Amino acid sequence: MAQQIEDKQNHPTARGLKRLAMAAIIVLISPLIMIAAASGDYGEQIFEQNLRVGEGIEIEHSVKIEVVDTSTDIIDSARFRVSSYLVPVRMLTIFQGDMPTEYETYSGARIYLEVVSVYGETALLRVTGPDNWRVTGYYEAEETETGSEPAAEAVTVPELEIKRTLDMTSVEQGQLVLVTFKIKNDGNGTATGIEMDEPLLRGTYQEGCPATLGDIAAGATVRVNYDLKIVDTPSGTYELEPTLLNYKSESGASYSSESSSNTLVVTAKEVLLPELEIKITIESGDDVIICGDRFPATVRIDNTGNATSGRATIKSHLPDDVRVADGDLEPVYESIKPGDYEEYEVMLIAYEPGKHVIKMDVMWADKEASASAEFWAERSSLDKYYPHILAVVPIGLLVVGIIRRHREYSY
Amino acid sequence: MLNILVLGLGQCGNRILDSINSEAFGGNGTFAKYYSNQKFPASVKTIAINTAINDLKGLKYTLAKDRFHVPHLHGVGANRTLGKKVFEDNKELIMGEIDKRGSFDLIFIITSTAGGSGSSFAPRLVEELKAAYNAQIICIAVLPFREEGSISLQNTAFCIKELIEEKPNGILLVDNQYLKKYAGDIKSAYDKINATTARRLLFLIEALNSEMLMVTDLGDLKTVMNGGVGIGTMGFYESNNGNTVKATILGSFKPSGLLFPANVYKEGARAMLIIKGDKKYLDLDLINKTIEELSTEVGQVFKGVLVKKGPSKVLSLFTLNSIPELDSLYASAADAIRTEKVKREESKRQLDDAFACIEELEPIY
Ligand SMILES: Nc1nc2c(ncn2[C@@H]2O[C@H](COP(=O)(O)OP(=O)(O)OP(=O)(O)O)[C@@H](O)[C@H]2O)c(=O)[nH]1
Ligand SMILES: [Mg+2]
Repeated sequence: MAQQIEDKQNHPTARGLKRLAMAAIIVLISPLIMIAAASGDYGEQIFEQNLRVGEGIEIEHSVKIEVVDTSTDIIDSARFRVSSYLVPVRMLTIFQGDMPTEYETYSGARIYLEVVSVYGETALLRVTGPDNWRVTGYYEAEETETGSEPAAEAVTVPELEIKRTLDMTSVEQGQLVLVTFKIKNDGNGTATGIEMDEPLLRGTYQEGCPATLGDIAAGATVRVNYDLKIVDTPSGTYELEPTLLNYKSESGASYSSESSSNTLVVTAKEVLLPELEIKITIESGDDVIICGDRFPATVRIDNTGNATSGRATIKSHLPDDVRVADGDLEPVYESIKPGDYEEYEVMLIAYEPGKHVIKMDVMWADKEASASAEFWAERSSLDKYYPHILAVVPIGLLVVGIIRRHREYSY
Repeated sequence: MLNILVLGLGQCGNRILDSINSEAFGGNGTFAKYYSNQKFPASVKTIAINTAINDLKGLKYTLAKDRFHVPHLHGVGANRTLGKKVFEDNKELIMGEIDKRGSFDLIFIITSTAGGSGSSFAPRLVEELKAAYNAQIICIAVLPFREEGSISLQNTAFCIKELIEEKPNGILLVDNQYLKKYAGDIKSAYDKINATTARRLLFLIEALNSEMLMVTDLGDLKTVMNGGVGIGTMGFYESNNGNTVKATILGSFKPSGLLFPANVYKEGARAMLIIKGDKKYLDLDLINKTIEELSTEVGQVFKGVLVKKGPSKVLSLFTLNSIPELDSLYASAADAIRTEKVKREESKRQLDDAFACIEELEPIY
């Protein structure tokens, strides 16, 4: 615009030429208009008068025509707001000297608008249309209002576009998601009374999510955000329904728009806990432990959890006749890393024959796990048992071997 | 040491694979598995793959962990279309099972062409294995008894066609029909055919893996299998005492020792001969001369000599330039498909005619 004003000031000759060209064009096409008008294509004349910006007429109690704006540019023109029963408001810009512009009413009747001339804020409007149609009313610009503002505002339309983004699309329970809205007014009027309807997701809490927004002027962009706290949403993939905006134009018409939907994947929170397991293995040469002989017992503590354990204490429960001959049966470990283990060996002696059960506990935090191992002790009467043992062992091994093979090959 | 994978697909493939495992125990009967260990002439991994769990249960010498059931109960009833779908659905499982066994230099896929599972899995497996491993792939395809009916013939025709399209390194044919002569009833014919096939395969593996002088290797195998139309078979001959090496070698080309009917002299493209036996019978000059003579008729002939105690044995492996027997099988298959189609249309027409009788009539009660 500024550029054009400069043009006008600095190059009056250029402007003059353009004018000349326009005039030539008008002269060329005007016979056509004459012919068209003369042939009655545009109906009978209904109205021909000067109207100021903000003034308007009503035809047949239905069609309202109001001058919104005038422009004296290369070609002079005027902008009209035309409305009628059941037909949405239309804005028509009509250039001086143009062919009559058609407007169709709900019933299908047509009227034609023509701008004959423009002076400042006044346009000479000619309306033609069906025979017998009459002007039934006049509007006047309210002098108290400044300039053409009120009339112009009456036709402005706000148009909000809302975009919703999440700062993460995959969250763990307990985490916060920052939800950001970018709301842009693409219309030509201010949006007021904006109500935001953000749907709830099960098991979440919306922290600081506004329900209403301040007015947004045409062309302006507003950013709003809130924290979506995932409280106890079961893990899964969720569809976040669109956000709904309800708003009004300054003239009070209602509009709404919505964002697109987003998906959010909620994963269960990984709990970090140590988990200890204890195992005892008692080794004896031939499955028999001889009373009074030392035999090794191996204790192993595995951390099968996913966190390092704190102090782990070990407690043993030995039968009365079993003693520790060598080693510490109840060591203490300050920590065991996940996936790691501690193992130690002690030498034990059993004094009485029969079945023995050794029980071991491992305690950490407020938890404990235990394991037990059994063994048989026999009096040392090697001479008596030796031949039996000699015979039983290979047969046993053979049977075990055959059974194992059988297992390997049975499906 | 070569890494070899043997896959037995479907009932037929499973059973031949079981024979291979049995032979590895020395072929010493049912109880061998309880007291002896398998001896393979290379590092051999075997997997029996089947949709029918009962077929897998019927195996005796294959480790339970080497039997892989593809979850589609009781086979696919000779329906290759269904077979292919089952394969697609379980592809990851199957390939995962194979992958557990490491990498391979040579892969054998054993299957019947006439059934549903094996014959539909085999071409797809060739494709997948080619993509996953840099190994030579040889298919051992068992052709049906011709009287098994039109579905068997159809399946065979399409299976072989798809196999060739997937371009394995070679296809070795075993023909049930041709080998029927081994035994009177089907059950013992199967056992015989399976054991024979198994022994020859192990013989081949032994020769490929051997580090002795004048042996054949994987490269030779590749060249041989690449000959002709890429399809061939195996022959075998064991000398009666006193036969010359030449007679034994020529014996292995005799139709009676082949696993598929062919005229090696006429149709042979390339061949590989593996000669095993006592040092004193292996006259190298004579061997070379015989092979030279053969080359004029059969084309390139590779040889491998294995010195081992025992009677001389020769395994021949060759590819063919033309396969009249397969041509005639395709002709029968085409016939069978056409007849089937006509029959179907006929029955449908009859049914339609029957329905036409009650057209426009309402039931009266
Ligand atoms: N040589 C030999 N051929 C067999 C044996 N068992 C079946 N066949 C042949 O294999 C063909 C049938 O295919 P199968 O292997 O049973 O079929 P499959 O792959 O298990 O497929 P479905 O049973 O249809 O799921 C027929 O031509 C049989 O003659 C066997 O033990 N040895
Ligand atoms: Mg089957």
